[in-house]
Amino acid sequence: MPLPRLALAHVFGQAAGTGAALATVASLPQLDERCLVAEAQAGSRAAFEELVRRYDRDVLRLALNLMKRPEDARDVYQEAFLKVYRNLHRFRFECSFYTWLYRIVTNVCLDQLRRRQARPEDQAPESNSTNHDEGIGDFFERQREYRPTLDPERRLLGREIQARIATAMELLSPRERVVFEMKHYQGLKLRAIGDALGTTEETVKNSLFRATRKLRNQLGELR
Amino acid sequence: MSGRPLTRCEDVAPLLVFYACDEVEPQEREQIDAHLAICPTCARQLGEESMFRTAFAETLQPADELDPTGALLAQCRSELSEQLDDLQAPQIREHWMPFGWVRRWMAMRPAWSAAGLILAGVAVGTQVTPWLALRRSDSSGQAVNVMAAPRLTDEDLSKMAVAGINFAPAPDDAPGTLQLQVRTEQPLVVIGNVDDADVRRVLTYVVANGERFDPGVRLDCLDALKARSDDQQVRRALVTAARKDQNAAVRLKALEALRDSTSDDSVRETLLEALRHDSNPGVRVEAVNLLVRSLQGDSPDGPSMDGLRVPGEPPTAELAGDRGDSSVERVVRALEDLQRGDPNRYVRLRSAAALRQIGSRDVQ
Repeated sequence: MPLPRLALAHVFGQAAGTGAALATVASLPQLDERCLVAEAQAGSRAAFEELVRRYDRDVLRLALNLMKRPEDARDVYQEAFLKVYRNLHRFRFECSFYTWLYRIVTNVCLDQLRRRQARPEDQAPESNSTNHDEGIGDFFERQREYRPTLDPERRLLGREIQARIATAMELLSPRERVVFEMKHYQGLKLRAIGDALGTTEETVKNSLFRATRKLRNQLGELR
Repeated sequence: MSGRPLTRCEDVAPLLVFYACDEVEPQEREQIDAHLAICPTCARQLGEESMFRTAFAETLQPADELDPTGALLAQCRSELSEQLDDLQAPQIREHWMPFGWVRRWMAMRPAWSAAGLILAGVAVGTQVTPWLALRRSDSSGQAVNVMAAPRLTDEDLSKMAVAGINFAPAPDDAPGTLQLQVRTEQPLVVIGNVDDADVRRVLTYVVANGERFDPGVRLDCLDALKARSDDQQVRRALVTAARKDQNAAVRLKALEALRDSTSDDSVRETLLEALRHDSNPGVRVEAVNLLVRSLQGDSPDGPSMDGLRVPGEPPTAELAGDRGDSSVERVVRALEDLQRGDPNRYVRLRSAAALRQIGSRDVQ
């Protein structure tokens, strides 16, 4: 698990000598994004890892929603953060770090999706909901069934809709899919999506409109 | 959005998607709200959009399905940390290492490596170094001092010890190559022929200072120097050795080396002194032979006096015929004294024969 490694990095710190802001271990999580980025640009590994910890959950979630396969999402995660690490010195604070990070992540996702579209044999597998009911899923999957918030009937309905949505999403272009995912799953504003994608809000609106029309035509009545 | 008022369904309907997710401007929202209040068709479409959006929101997201416990996130963090370690680690650069495979092989086999190194050292020490030295001396004919200092100083000579002399004869009449192993402040090897200044200095010093060196070394030096007895420095050393060396063999060898220099007064004095005072009969006989030889014409090409003449043979008057000088008289007197008083019978006989040879006037 990475947590001890990260903790050690904080203690022994590549943070040493990079400024007073990273003088103590406890001060790192309290630093604002700008200070963290500045420290990371100065070479602080601890500051960079703190940035990763702040945003990597959303990054992985976006990658999973877009790629639908854990191994692809993992590749997106690695590639995106390594790009950030290598190019951090080019970040000029002209937008938020979060936006800059998402721009990199979505570009990596788009590249992967386009490559996948170019290789039909590399399509994401359709989810097989019966596996879970038959106990074929792994331990963690089975544990989830005992959550009190998920009653079996609703979960079954959700799985059915999810399967239909997944099928319908395959009809979207990579960019439409990214916009739709970022809007509905990540909850980002259109302006932020435009910043992340390096395009205008109007273009994002058009993409979202087309994606919604396609999905509605494909899915019809969801209930 | 366009600036015209949103009153018609074809203008409002496309905006309902954004209205449902709160992505319209406030004034657009007011106009849409006003239109929805009077248009049931658009209101129903908005309801569908809202239901669609709600359905998406309530549906389990792929991320929830694919990483419900956060294990994938932890794995990603761990892998990223390792990647960062790799990026930050200084790159180990493989320096160019000559014979790298030899070093690896030796590192794996220390015993074999040690044995191989010892053998290689022995081979180099015993074979290669002398071979190189001889090659150098053959090619240049110049003395090569292994030490940095090109010449031996007088102090070096006074402190030196000669460990050995190697002689390599030349194929033609040229002087052979000498290798003198000398110990001064540190060991050195002087290589060259007898005409080389350093070589000659060492040889003459050894001959003239015989008490400090081994008799065998002195004899070797005399052997090397006898071909250059015409040189003043060499001749002085030979004379000194013939007079003062403690070893009779060395004195005898020194006299032999002076065979071709008997015309020199100092050499003749040395012969006379040896005739009278040398304790060794062999040296005295050699002195007799050389004196007779000198009186026969002082010529290296003259008849050799390699032994006793037949007793009773008439003395060759011509030998002493023109030599009425004092030196001849001194020689004759010395021989007469030797003939009468030498304790060695052979010396007495040889002296008598010599007197006959030189036609001594007193021999009758």
